[in-house]
Amino acid sequence: MEGAGAGAGFRKELVSRLLHVHFKDDKTKVSGDALQLMAELLKIFVVEAAVRGVRQAQAEDAILVDVDQLEKVLPQLLLDF
Amino acid sequence: MEEEAEAEEQQRFSHQQRLKAAVHYTVGCLCEEVALDKEMQFSKQTIAAISELTFRQCENFAKDLEMFARHARRTTINTEDVKLLARRSNSLLKYITDKSEEIAQTNLERKARKKKKSENGNHNSRELAEAGVVESEK
Repeated sequence: MEGAGAGAGFRKELVSRLLHVHFKDDKTKVSGDALQLMAELLKIFVVEAAVRGVRQAQAEDAILVDVDQLEKVLPQLLLDF
Repeated sequence: MEEEAEAEEQQRFSHQQRLKAAVHYTVGCLCEEVALDKEMQFSKQTIAAISELTFRQCENFAKDLEMFARHARRTTINTEDVKLLARRSNSLLKYITDKSEEIAQTNLERKARKKKKSENGNHNSRELAEAGVVESEK
């Protein structure tokens, strides 16, 4: 997996809101550390999708990453996550 | 009260829209970084697709996390639950486990520094203010 450097990322508050929307139980909470870790996981998810898209585009000699390239890398991406 | 239900539905919808917009922004930033690094552009549709995908993936993540915590008879989701999410790929699991240790270490150090400062009496106010600035930047 590609390492993700410092830079853009998901804010803890956004991650918290994204998760809470889907919780079935009102009492469910997320620890601070878990939120930070989830932010990393989501970042990796996005970066992997992007990088795999790039590799596909390069393999096809495409000039940019379009949905056609993304579609091809999606199945494996979802299996890996 | 159909009107109430409709208003509630609309509120939920716009809340979701705002969340999606926030995700879209972050996804855009991350893709921009990758684009610069790999010298390859992304079409707008691709960024939108990744953004939609990420948003939907959060539903799976959230439900799984809640179940994992409940399985362990907890109401608070912790890092162990998150690591369980990353079990499908070995390299992903390793990356997340390493990150988890890094986070724990950083937070431990921050707490130790805070404790040290509060034990330092007079030097308190300026250093605590600095620590406050550092935290709000995160």
